Amino acid sequence: MFESKSGILAIGGVGFFVFAYIVMGALPWTIYKDQPEKSILEVASEGIPHEFVDLAERFPAQFKEHFGEVSYESFAAALELGRDIYVGEACWHCHSQFIRPVSREDIRWGPIAHAREYNNELQRPVLFGTRRVGPDLSREAGRRSNDWHIAHFYEPTNVVAASVMPAYPWFFDEADVPNKRGMAIIAYVQWLGSWLDEYPYYEEAPKAPKLDDDASSTEVADHGHDREQEEI
Amino acid sequence: MTTAASPPLMPARDTSGAHALVDHKLVTSYFVASFVYYIIALLAGGLYSMQFLQHYPFPGAELFSPGRIRMLHTNGMAYGFIANAFLGGLHWAVPRLTLRPVLSAKLSWFIFIAWQGIVLGTVGGLLTGQAQAVEWGETPVWIDPVAVLGLTLVGANFLASVFRMRSSMYVSVWYFIAALPWTLLTYTMGNFFVEYWIGGTASGAIIGLFIHDLVGLFVTPIGWGLMYYFVPIILKKPIWSHGLSLVGFWGLAFFYPLNGIHHFLYTPIPMFLQHGAIVATIAVEFVVTTVIINFFMTLRGSGDALRRNLPIRWFYVGMVFYFTTCLQCAFQVTLTFQKIIHFSDWVVGHAHLVMFGVFGFWIMGMFTYLFPRLVGATRWYSDKLNAWHFWLSAIGMLIMFFDLVIAGLVQGFLWKDLAIWEESLRASMPFWMIRSWSGLGIIVAQFLFGWNMYKTATDRSLRAA
Amino acid sequence: MATTVNKKKYKAPRVFLIVMAVGVFITGMYGFGSKLEQFIRAVIVENEADFTLIPVLNYMFAAAGFLCLFGWAAKNGMFKDLEKPKYDMLEYDRELDEVDGIDWEKQA
Repeated sequence: MFESKSGILAIGGVGFFVFAYIVMGALPWTIYKDQPEKSILEVASEGIPHEFVDLAERFPAQFKEHFGEVSYESFAAALELGRDIYVGEACWHCHSQFIRPVSREDIRWGPIAHAREYNNELQRPVLFGTRRVGPDLSREAGRRSNDWHIAHFYEPTNVVAASVMPAYPWFFDEADVPNKRGMAIIAYVQWLGSWLDEYPYYEEAPKAPKLDDDASSTEVADHGHDREQEEI
Repeated sequence: MTTAASPPLMPARDTSGAHALVDHKLVTSYFVASFVYYIIALLAGGLYSMQFLQHYPFPGAELFSPGRIRMLHTNGMAYGFIANAFLGGLHWAVPRLTLRPVLSAKLSWFIFIAWQGIVLGTVGGLLTGQAQAVEWGETPVWIDPVAVLGLTLVGANFLASVFRMRSSMYVSVWYFIAALPWTLLTYTMGNFFVEYWIGGTASGAIIGLFIHDLVGLFVTPIGWGLMYYFVPIILKKPIWSHGLSLVGFWGLAFFYPLNGIHHFLYTPIPMFLQHGAIVATIAVEFVVTTVIINFFMTLRGSGDALRRNLPIRWFYVGMVFYFTTCLQCAFQVTLTFQKIIHFSDWVVGHAHLVMFGVFGFWIMGMFTYLFPRLVGATRWYSDKLNAWHFWLSAIGMLIMFFDLVIAGLVQGFLWKDLAIWEESLRASMPFWMIRSWSGLGIIVAQFLFGWNMYKTATDRSLRAA
Repeated sequence: MATTVNKKKYKAPRVFLIVMAVGVFITGMYGFGSKLEQFIRAVIVENEADFTLIPVLNYMFAAAGFLCLFGWAAKNGMFKDLEKPKYDMLEYDRELDEVDGIDWEKQA
């Protein structure tokens, strides 16, 4: 191979592939030293949502056993476990985590996604998602109560009749007592979007121009609310 | 090394013949393994579709949670079915095209066993909830280094044949050369980078490239390489224009990898990147056209083969589907279409047409052509079953495709019109029902084929004297 | 069997080949140009787009690798007789099948 010039070209050809390989590995370090990614603890320290505290108050014994006291550290641990469950159960295959600037998504869900929102360790790999069987979740925090989520994870069709979401009974010790995994996934979902000041509560009052289904939206919101009361 | 000298015809000629070049047992093993994963992955898909009808047969069973089953479906198809079938096909085609055996027969068997280990590990990992958040790369993180090692060995094993070749390379060989290092690069990129070094929006750009390249740089080149091999062999006439096929190849080599980001349009990824990906995608359609024209010009004058020859029918129907998906792709990457169809079942329909309608069909054609010969039978046990296999698959596929594409439009417009979410679920329900039934047709077809394979392999009356 | 090279047969495909090759080249260069633009913008203009260097550079190195392989093939005269390999491969396969005891004429 080496004796001819063409041999050198062949080796060069393969060499470039190898080089591409090395560059792929080396480049991230050089690029990212100026844009540090937030660690999970840093993210958790930006503020603990009320819902996490609520879990601790509602299920004191279980919470203490699983996560200890309410603290930035315990919240970080819950977020990390919650994210792992979100990935392992393939939630991200039916729920997206970004709001597009088109198709009136900002009216339905809230502010359009921005690159900086994803610059943290929980978005590694990023959980944009490619399919929406269920709604987008990136503006989900605080939209619904912990009770709603507990009832919904246990048996989604009890809360939303048309839902095709699977039930997750293995997130629970008993019907209404989430176990460690259940608390973690609820903490994670209630965190998604909690960094934003506000966003619309789309089931109640979309302020869309030319919108004609206000009536039906409100009806369903009430319906969901009633169900929630029943579950408690 | 000039083309003037006629290539020295094979060491095989004076040894024990083609068997010295091609390990028939190995190819058979790959095909059988591929078929087994195929059935498992199909059943997983059928099972998953039942969740959409609110009739999941194992509600509340953790190991069979629909989400996990979905990942089993896609990964089982990619790494179990397609990768195994392609490796088997490569072990058949590469030595016969280069007239050189692969690097090592022992290594080949080692790779075979290791690859089954990787697939089984993936299945176990996914079912126990250890997925990695990379679409089509959900293989648990502890599998990834093993898989990369395996892919390296695969590359070395086949490239050894190619670089020892003496004559000018046939277009199939070019495709294979490209696919082997590409697959390795793509796999590393999608599975390590986004896990360890790059997070956030940046990893979105890379995952987009991974999804795209896994189809475009692993499945597509090997698929087309095998087509360029099997079609002339079966039709017993050369491809219409080898020069044109090389244009197609170099076009793919230089311009296909540009497109990845079109999977995440309207994300926070910078807009100029999204525009670049769209332009390149449409440019690639031109390359696709050259390939399609070449194959159909080859068929000219032997159109009868479509009726008489089942493998040829599988191949060419697959090509028609290929052209359809590519055409669909040129539209769906535009920002106008994206507004409506992104996130919807339209994309699911597209994916099924590509993976099953195109590559699945080609693999089935390859099985139909090679399997009796590999097991030493003179013909298939039943041609009728094979015909059923084809028609059920083709009709099932077409129904599923149109069903999902229309469902996607319905969903997209409902979302845009701000209908409450449950409305989009209720509206999708009939479409999901049709999807499940068409899927059932496809599954039944494959069971018929499996039975036919079994009888062909075991029926002694079919053995060559 | 088409073992003998029939120059006349080449003509129709050849015209088509040239047209398509030019077409692929033009669209391809357009794609490449946009990649180059992305590279420049990622380096110089857009601050938040540094990460795009990774896929873009990766693409460029892979393309350079293919350029080398292309040169290698050209130097080895693989493109001197563009149509020869397609006859060769059929011939190889026929001979291999013969060794296996499979009769091509009957099969066709």
